Amino acid sequence: MSTLTFHAISDADIAAARKRHPKAFGDRFATTLKAASWAFIMVYLIWSLGFFEIGKLLNASDRAWALMTRMVIWQDMATWQYANIYKGIAQTIAMAFLGTLLGTILALALAFFAARNTMPVGVIRHAVRRMLDVFRGIDQIVWGLVFVRAVGLGPLAGVLAIFISDTGNLAKLYSEAIENIDRKQVEGVRATGADTGRIIRYGYLPQILPVFISLSLYSFESSTRSATILGLVGAGGIGMIIIERFRAGLFDQVAFVVLNVLVVIAVIDWGSGLIRKRFIGERGH
Amino acid sequence: MASITTNGPEHGADRDPVSVFERHRAQMIRDRMVVNVTLGVLFVAFLAWSVWISRFTPDRLATGIPRIFEYFGTVMPALQWDVLFDARNEAGRFPAGSIGYWYNDFWKYLRLIWETILMALTATILGTGLAVVLSFLAARNCTPFPWVGAAARRFLEFCRGVPEILFALILVFAVGIGPLAGVLAITIHATGALGKLFSEVNENASMRPVDGIKAVGGSWFEQMRYGILPQVLPNFTSYALWRFEINVRASAVVGFVGAGGIGAELSHTISFYSDDRVTAVLLLVVLTVTIIDLLSERARHSLIGKESLK
Repeated sequence: MSTLTFHAISDADIAAARKRHPKAFGDRFATTLKAASWAFIMVYLIWSLGFFEIGKLLNASDRAWALMTRMVIWQDMATWQYANIYKGIAQTIAMAFLGTLLGTILALALAFFAARNTMPVGVIRHAVRRMLDVFRGIDQIVWGLVFVRAVGLGPLAGVLAIFISDTGNLAKLYSEAIENIDRKQVEGVRATGADTGRIIRYGYLPQILPVFISLSLYSFESSTRSATILGLVGAGGIGMIIIERFRAGLFDQVAFVVLNVLVVIAVIDWGSGLIRKRFIGERGH
Repeated sequence: MASITTNGPEHGADRDPVSVFERHRAQMIRDRMVVNVTLGVLFVAFLAWSVWISRFTPDRLATGIPRIFEYFGTVMPALQWDVLFDARNEAGRFPAGSIGYWYNDFWKYLRLIWETILMALTATILGTGLAVVLSFLAARNCTPFPWVGAAARRFLEFCRGVPEILFALILVFAVGIGPLAGVLAITIHATGALGKLFSEVNENASMRPVDGIKAVGGSWFEQMRYGILPQVLPNFTSYALWRFEINVRASAVVGFVGAGGIGAELSHTISFYSDDRVTAVLLLVVLTVTIIDLLSERARHSLIGKESLK
């Protein structure tokens, strides 16, 4: 019994195999197309890096190095005004909480106007949906800047920015949850002769409430993340402290604050995960 | 009633099943009540703390809300129907109230939006490339050494944990004002986010092809290239396209800190003017984002079908 080695296969064998199974060796057209698209991506990438002046990266080494060392080597830690920093972080969490809470309340009302099965009038439904699209389409930090212009610097602008963008997100997700409910449970409650209030209480609410709570918790998590940068435009919270220290060249403090924020966000994620698991169960999605 | 189900010698009035059940039920309702009241108190306390610490008091709100409506009143364009589509007049100006007057700087905005989209595209390509490499190192079933996997996961966590606008702020300082800082910032964030998603896809891939390639003597690279990659490539592409949508949004705002794109214009317009220019730029940004979302969604659906996407 002889062992089959790769050397035993001749070119003629390969040609014969190619003839018998043409598909197995790849389609010439598909191969060319693949190669061409790769080439296109590479050419675009090289062109765009030139367009964005990638060369600046090489000239930047001195400044970048100074920045990096300053971020790693922490100086004068006794003078860092920790109370200020932690107050900023607390303010960020408070802003995210208030914004999400207000957003949840408004989204609850709007969701029923945006869902197909609770709002039969198409004109109103579409008007509400387009308004929500605008709320979501404009980035939270842009809302922050707009509200800073309207109501002045400070956390009020931040709360309003989170409120608007959370309303847009949550109302869309809520209305999808309302549209996806199981009609059979509602029919079942109705068949027992329940009035409208009881149909909502026992037919709709048990189905949508866990989803709503879970979505709002997620929204709170993501708002704490995004609220950290709202301060960059003056809308309150830790971002104001970050940008202030950054402009003053205190990069070690910036690094410290960012690390703290990362820890706080991880703790909040963990905490809201616990709440979700405790009250909604894994299925709550 | 109790006589049917009793089977022990001592069956008093408090031992019969009905009263046991009733007592158990009362206990459960009590427990639940305690938990709900505690949670309610905690919630109210947290709310009060939040209101206090962010100074979100009714009087501030009462002075703030009217100013919001006032502001939105001033930034709305005063379009007039009779001159809406009028061209430039003899003096080379658009008449007040026409679309041309509203969008006087249209071509400047368009150039900046083009730059924004290119920034997002380049960052997506770079980020996807880096994320593909890192995801194979980070996935628990693919990593060549466990410590490399742990290190790669921590690195990815850092990259996606820090907001891109913060990276942009730092990079603007390092490489100077301009789109390069924005591209790099979005690349870093996209690498972190995509790397995590990709490595999760890798962890769900079947290991049988890998075993086969290992059995014929394939190296680690060959195991990944021919064992895992063909399984995960459709998911990777769909995630990368989805990330492109997010990157367009991000590249529209990194300009706030000077990192290129329409953001600088947006920030400048909102901060220094309160007239219809604000709505002009905002509307263009929203339109761009919406169009990109629609196109990319269509591409994703045609790529792997509606069912497997969810």
